[in-house]
Amino acid sequence: MNLNLKAKKQNTYDAIVVGTGISGGWSAKELSENGLNTLVLERGRNVSHGDYPTATLEPWDLPRNDEIPYEEREHYEKQLRTGYTIRESTKHWWVRDTDQPYREIERFDWIRGYHVGGRSIMWGRHSYRLSDLDFEANAREGIAVDWPIRYSDIEPWYDYVERFAGISGEALGIPHFPDSRFLPPMELNCVEKHAREKIRQHFSDRVLTIGRVAMLTEPHMGRGPCQFRNKCIRGCPYAGYFSSNAATIPAAEQTGNLTLRPHSIVNKVIYDAETGKASGVEVIDAETGEMQEFYARVIFLNASAINTAMILMNSRSDRFPDGLGNDSGQLGRNLMDHHFRVGANGRFEGFQDRYYFGRRPTGFFIPRFRNVESNDRDYVRGFGYQGSASRENWSRVVRELSIGNELKELAQTPGEWTMGMTAFGEMLPHEENRMWLDFENTDKWGQPTVVFDCKFRDNELKMREDMKNDAAEILEAAGFKNITTYDNLGAPGLGIHEMGTARMGRDPDTSVLNEWNQIHAVPNVFVTDGACMTSAANQNPSLTYMALSARAANYAAEELNKQNL
Amino acid sequence: MSMDRREALRRSALLMGGVIFAPSAIGVLNGCQARPGVDWSPEHLDRSQARLITILVDMIIPDTDTPGAVEAGVPAFVEEMIFVAYNEDARQEFISGLEAFENSVLEEHGSSYADLEPEVQFQVADSQNRRAVGGEHTDDQAAQFFLVMKELTVMGYFTSEIGATQTLRYEKVPGRYDACIPFDEVGKTWAT
Repeated sequence: MNLNLKAKKQNTYDAIVVGTGISGGWSAKELSENGLNTLVLERGRNVSHGDYPTATLEPWDLPRNDEIPYEEREHYEKQLRTGYTIRESTKHWWVRDTDQPYREIERFDWIRGYHVGGRSIMWGRHSYRLSDLDFEANAREGIAVDWPIRYSDIEPWYDYVERFAGISGEALGIPHFPDSRFLPPMELNCVEKHAREKIRQHFSDRVLTIGRVAMLTEPHMGRGPCQFRNKCIRGCPYAGYFSSNAATIPAAEQTGNLTLRPHSIVNKVIYDAETGKASGVEVIDAETGEMQEFYARVIFLNASAINTAMILMNSRSDRFPDGLGNDSGQLGRNLMDHHFRVGANGRFEGFQDRYYFGRRPTGFFIPRFRNVESNDRDYVRGFGYQGSASRENWSRVVRELSIGNELKELAQTPGEWTMGMTAFGEMLPHEENRMWLDFENTDKWGQPTVVFDCKFRDNELKMREDMKNDAAEILEAAGFKNITTYDNLGAPGLGIHEMGTARMGRDPDTSVLNEWNQIHAVPNVFVTDGACMTSAANQNPSLTYMALSARAANYAAEELNKQNL
Repeated sequence: MSMDRREALRRSALLMGGVIFAPSAIGVLNGCQARPGVDWSPEHLDRSQARLITILVDMIIPDTDTPGAVEAGVPAFVEEMIFVAYNEDARQEFISGLEAFENSVLEEHGSSYADLEPEVQFQVADSQNRRAVGGEHTDDQAAQFFLVMKELTVMGYFTSEIGATQTLRYEKVPGRYDACIPFDEVGKTWAT
C-alpha cells in the first residue's frame, strides 16, 4: 500500500500532454510556462533539435536518387500514397504501415509520423488565419453545428503564437484572409510577379501573394534564419522553420517543469466516476509492452485527430460506454481533410534571360475568392491556390532529340518558365464520414485498430470544377501558353490535414468539446489538435491548432489556479 | 586544353571515325574493371550487359570539358536502380529490352553493340533516341530500352557530384534567395 502510494506520487503531475506535434508542443510550452509540472507523452522515439540524420546530405550522398529499395515498399503501402513522403532521406519520419495497420471501408490515406515533434518536422509550413467567413459558415448555411467561437476569440491567440513561431508573409488587408504578425515576406520570382500584376488587372477579387509560412526570413528568438536549401522535410539544423523540436519543446524544457517521456503509447484516459473528472492516463511502454499509469489534474490530448479520437473511444467506462466524452455520439464522426490535386499548369514565353539564386522553400498563394460576398456558386465554401513558377531544369533533356555533347550543353541552359497551381478546397463536415475502432483486430501493442469510412461528397466534387477551371482562367489571363488542367481526386487523408473527430460546439448533445476545447462532460480533459475542428475551412490548419492550443492551455492554467478544475 | 579545342577535337574524331572515348572510359570497357574514381563491379549484370550499359551511358553523356557519366559512376547507378529500386516486372522488361536492343544491332550490323566502331555506336544510339523521343515507336522495345537508359543516365549524372557541381551549378547552402536576377549571374542550370 505504501509502495503504491509512493509510485502514485512519483507518477503524478499537474498536467499531462499526449503528443508532441504542432499542437502538443504548444500545450506543453504554455502549461509548463504557467508553472505547471507537465508530463509530455510521445508514442515514438525521442528527436532532439538537430537530431536530423539526413538534413545535410547532398543529392549524391543518397543512393538511387533518394528512392527506397523496392522490397521496402511493402512496409509503406499507405505512407507511399502521397508520392513524396517515403524517400531514403525521409522514411525515418513516417510509420511503417506493417507495424501500424488500419482498415479502410473507403480509402483513407492516414499519413503518420511517430516521434517527438511528430509531423511538425515534415509539415508544409503554410500558416493562414481562419476568419469569420469560416467560423460563421456552418451556422449561416445550417451545416453540422456552429463553431462556439468567432474570430475575435482567437485573434489575440493568433497574434500570440505568431510572435513566437515567426510567420513570414505579406500583409494584404483582406477581411476574410486576415493578416498575421509578419516577418518580412519571401520574394516572388520574375514570372510570379508578372502573374501577380496581370491577375490584379484582370480580377478585382483575386490576388497572388507569397506563401505565408512559418519560416524565418530573419533571425527570430535565437532561431533561423532560413538558408534556402529547401531540405525542410528532413528537419532543419538552422531551425529555419517552426517545429516543436526547434521551438516549443526547448521553450518548455527551459521552464524546468517539463518531463518528456518518449516510447509512451497512451492507451486510455482514466475516468474517475466519483469526481466526474479524468484522473490520469494508462500508458503502454512501446518498447517493453509494460503498462503504467500517470496522473494529473488536467490532460491535454494532442495525439492528432485520429489518435486522439482513438484514445477517447478506447477509454470506456460505465459512465461513458462509447468512449470518454462521447455523450453526443459525435466522437470519430465529421472526419475532414482538404481536397486538392486539381489545378492547371502553363508555360511562359519570356524572361529567358532571368533566373534565381537559392531554393525558396515555398510558393505563392491565392486566397479564396469564391463565395465570399455571397454564395453564388452551385456549392458552398471555397478554395485557395498554392503554386510556383520556375524554369525547367535538366530533366527536360530526356525528351529532347539530342544525346552526347549536345545533350550536355543543352542541360546547362535552363528551359522555359512554367507555372503550376493546385487548389486546396474545403471539405464539409458530414456525420457519415467517420472512423471507429475494431476491438477484435488489435495491433502489436494490443490496441484496437482504426477503421475508416470517409469519402469526398457532392459539394467537394462540384467545387472541383471551379478549382480546375479558375486555375486555367487565371493562367490564361496572366499570359501563359500551353495550359493544361488536371484533376486527381485521390482520397481523404492525402492532404495530411485530418480533423474534426471530436468537434467543438455549443451543445453537449451534438458536440464533444466546448468553446475552450474542454470535453463537455469531463472538463479537465482538453483536445486542441485537429480533432477539435468544427469545420475545415480551406486554409492549412496548423496555425489554428497552435492558437487554440495556447488559448486552451492558458485557460486551463487559470481554471486550475481558481480551483475550478 | 581549352574547352573549344578539346570539343573541336572530339567532334573531328567523331566525323573521321576516330576514337571518341576519353582514355578513362576504355579501362571499363575492356572487362569492366573498376578504375580509380569509378567504384563499380557489377553485382547483377553479366559482363556483356555491363559493357553495353557502360558504353550507352558514355554515348548519352560523354566526357567533354567536364567529366562524363561513366566517371560520375552512372553505370553503377543504373544497375542499382534496375536491381534495387525497380520491381521484378520492370527489371525483366529492362533486361528483355536490353536483349532486344542487342538483337536489333546484330540484325542491322552483324555484330554486338560493344564491338561496333565508336562512331557507329553513336549513330545507333542517336537513331534509337530519335525513334524513342519522336513518339512514333513507343512499342519498339529497343527504342524504349534506350529511353530508359537515357532517363537513368540523365538522372544519375545530374544528381552526381560531378554532374551537379561541374556540369551544372549547385549551392549546398545558398543562404539567401534572389528572386529575379540575370541568368548570367548564375551561368548554368541549377542542379536543384
